[in-house]
Amino acid sequence: MDSSDITTLEELKSYLYSAMQLEHATLPPYLVALYSIKPGTNLDATQIIRVVAVEEMLHLTFAANLLNAIGGEPDLTVPGFVPNFPTYLPDGEQEFLVHLAPFSRQTIENFLQIERPSLAPSGVNKLVARREHGPFLHLGTHPRQTTMRYYSIGDFYKAIEDGLVYLEGEAQKQGKTIFTGDAGRQITSQYYYSGGGHLHPVTDLATAVTAIRLVIEQGEGQTATIYDSQKELAHYYRFDQLIHGRYYRSGDAIEHPTGEPVSVDWDAAYPVKTDVKLADIPAGSELHQAAAAFNQAYARFLAEITEAYNGKPHKLMEAVAHMFEFRNAMTVLIRNPLPGSNGLYAGPTFEVSPEAAGAPQAGAESLEVVA
Amino acid sequence: MTSDTPFDAVIVGAGVAGALIAKQLTGAGLRVLLLEAGPGTSQSFNGYSRHLQQFYGATSKSAESPWPPAAAAPQPDSSDLRNNNGYFVQRGPDLYGSTYTRTWGGSTLHWLGVSLRMLPEDFRMHSRHGVGRDWPLGYNDLAPFYARAEHELGVSADVADQRYHGVSFAEDYDYPMQRVPLSYSDRVLGAAVDGMTVWFDHESFDLKVRSYPAARNSIPRGAYQPVGAVDLHDDGSSNPPLLGGRCQGNTSCTPICPVQAKYNAGKSLAQADRRYLTMLVQAVASKILVDPANGGVQGIEYKRYQDPASTRFTTAVAKGRVYILTAHAVENARLMLASGLTGPRGQVGQTLMDHPALYAWGLAPLAIGAFRGPQSSAGIEDLRGGAFRARHAAFRFDIGNDGWRSTTGAPDSTVSEAVMSQRLFGTALRDQLANLLSRQVRMSLAIEQLPDPANAVTVDPQYLDALGNPRPVISYHIDDYTKAGMVAASGVARALFRRAGVQDFSESGNGSWFPSVYYQGREFHYHGMGHFSGTHAMGDDPQQSVIDPDQRAWQHHNLFLAGSGSFPTMGTSNPTLTLAALALRTADHLVATLQQ
Repeated sequence: MDSSDITTLEELKSYLYSAMQLEHATLPPYLVALYSIKPGTNLDATQIIRVVAVEEMLHLTFAANLLNAIGGEPDLTVPGFVPNFPTYLPDGEQEFLVHLAPFSRQTIENFLQIERPSLAPSGVNKLVARREHGPFLHLGTHPRQTTMRYYSIGDFYKAIEDGLVYLEGEAQKQGKTIFTGDAGRQITSQYYYSGGGHLHPVTDLATAVTAIRLVIEQGEGQTATIYDSQKELAHYYRFDQLIHGRYYRSGDAIEHPTGEPVSVDWDAAYPVKTDVKLADIPAGSELHQAAAAFNQAYARFLAEITEAYNGKPHKLMEAVAHMFEFRNAMTVLIRNPLPGSNGLYAGPTFEVSPEAAGAPQAGAESLEVVA
Repeated sequence: MTSDTPFDAVIVGAGVAGALIAKQLTGAGLRVLLLEAGPGTSQSFNGYSRHLQQFYGATSKSAESPWPPAAAAPQPDSSDLRNNNGYFVQRGPDLYGSTYTRTWGGSTLHWLGVSLRMLPEDFRMHSRHGVGRDWPLGYNDLAPFYARAEHELGVSADVADQRYHGVSFAEDYDYPMQRVPLSYSDRVLGAAVDGMTVWFDHESFDLKVRSYPAARNSIPRGAYQPVGAVDLHDDGSSNPPLLGGRCQGNTSCTPICPVQAKYNAGKSLAQADRRYLTMLVQAVASKILVDPANGGVQGIEYKRYQDPASTRFTTAVAKGRVYILTAHAVENARLMLASGLTGPRGQVGQTLMDHPALYAWGLAPLAIGAFRGPQSSAGIEDLRGGAFRARHAAFRFDIGNDGWRSTTGAPDSTVSEAVMSQRLFGTALRDQLANLLSRQVRMSLAIEQLPDPANAVTVDPQYLDALGNPRPVISYHIDDYTKAGMVAASGVARALFRRAGVQDFSESGNGSWFPSVYYQGREFHYHGMGHFSGTHAMGDDPQQSVIDPDQRAWQHHNLFLAGSGSFPTMGTSNPTLTLAALALRTADHLVATLQQ
């Protein structure tokens, strides 16, 4: 085994914060594509994207459970937590941009890139120098050596798994453990469940490794088989069904689904302007107000999730209720034309600043003021 | 096993009773053939989604709106009631107001999810109150099966709320999921109503707005894993539920839960062991073939159609060691009668019951958040039992969260009234709608009905469906016992509204059309609750009942009739949980005997 990239608990916490950021960063693109689909059309695509989005939230929660398990404090309200889209993701030797864009073949191909299973081939260094140096956030960046990034998200998670194993091994040698977090801060399946994957508390190395592997298997990583150990299709292959126009079924070879047909109407989506910004929307217009209001609602949602991850798991229930509100707020934007954009439509900008939420930036204690 | 009987059991009907029995039998390695008269379109997630789109697009949001029937398997429809020109041939004198759905998953696809246990006294109506008849089983016999049914259906409730009128639970028992939170309107009404005393003669009752057990996913207890959406595929493959479906308060339990948070029979069928289960949809059982010498069933003839829009069919015979009719209280009786099997003393089809129900509706003094939450989340259960049942029917109230939707057709009717009659527009219109819609309160007062042989399902060769199967002919009347219960219930509702400051519109004449009965000079508009029961009642006496306590036909040793048709009396609880408990009990019996 390679020696662990992660040698201190503080480093591990940084990685897990980055993992939360990474898991969260896929949500805005998935949600924009999902809600850009015209009502009553693309039922298969709607279902596929929704299921993946729900599982990304499961992964986000797993990352929070991991961070809590080692005594960290998940905080989704830190400035810069939400990327200013587009954002870079690693894809082996290359990096690519993830956009906020409407449902289209191109967007689904972008999602395939996000979920592409790849690990650095043996012999290839899993840490590579960042090539792009644009203004956008680079996910999968090494938290300390910021000019370096992981070859793939799978490699990034593998580094976390190795770090957990290494640090817990070192701690055990001294009769200690790194899993010192308050078990009451774990989110359990009481508060979050969906069909896809079963959320469990992280309290020791075994449960931590199970959590990491579930996250890797369901999406971000290394499964070269279409079904994961829970008999679920990995995210990459879920999206791949839309490109092939056919469902996978068990026994199918990669890239050759033979199940029932998937009907896709690529044109049945509102043409949301890609990576739309508040500045693109005429100031003072109702649309601008709606876009700003959405950003505020989203910031409040992140603050609520942060509270939930900091010892108030029941807050997750309230946050879920608010998701309905911001779904409505998103569709208001997505279904309205953007003046002066040649027929393109508006959309949520996800320009979230802590000020937008009207919330103090720090941890859970100060957030109580908001509640 | 001989080639003549490739199946251990042939089950007719993919509703809740059939699904639970199929799951138990296949789980024990017994081979099951399940015949379903309707289409199997709700088996896949996408198919279910298309039903949802159908509901969204329907102008009338009736219970049947997402679930249109196949031409070969017609079903009653509430819109046919007024002109009495539907699938039922109604001979009156009163109209039977309920409907059901013939499709894979059955009427659980559009039920509300209320999962009340019957009261201990409900099983002993004759010995306790001198009316109706006693069950051959008591509450304690069924209690363990109630507990199992609550887990199979995924019922959300807190035991602490549910101990009343003698309902008891095992000491360490609680429901698999926490109760669905009370709605804001429940809490507002509860604050006004709790502790209100009602007197019936010398007996007093303190009312309480109480959360009812609901088969809708909420927060699980312990290791219980809520069951999510169903996704079975024609090629035999299935996906694990991808969406967990926690109740999100979409306010459309009836006619379709958009997130499959609510139990439907498909969830149990998705858990059946498919290695032992053969499902045939679009297969209408048409005749039970009986050995005249000993009454044993030799096969069930069924008509298979390929196209739900067509009535072309082919005929085949299903054979098994035992046969279990789980087709619905009416359809079980109809199939028996169509096969010439009338039961001991011709009792098959007799003692049909329902819960005729009244609406009470009004405007709360403040906004109570109508049209949010599950369709309802609480009820008033305190008048379900008592000595008064010797004189008049018991009843329960269901407190809606859906405004006047079912009583007047709100919100559309409220909009129409404001625009067409009051000529409002702009801000005034918006203000009026916000003011009225948010204050709308509705209660359903569901009244008990006793078994009466004159209330019956029969068949008549004059009235056939498109496949040539006889349609159900229904004779029905609501007797004075139930009408006196209506008087009592509407009186309590009126007093309750007065106490809560709710302006009562129940007598305003602004309600939608419903059938009427008259009593003591008053007219009562009633609707059906879909609680069909009693058509093949169980008993201890082979002369006085159709089936034994295991739901086996007295006259046919290998034939079982399961479902709410088996109820000797129905009390006031919604029948699904009880019929599920009976189905599990029968499944145990079948597993034990078939494995010998």
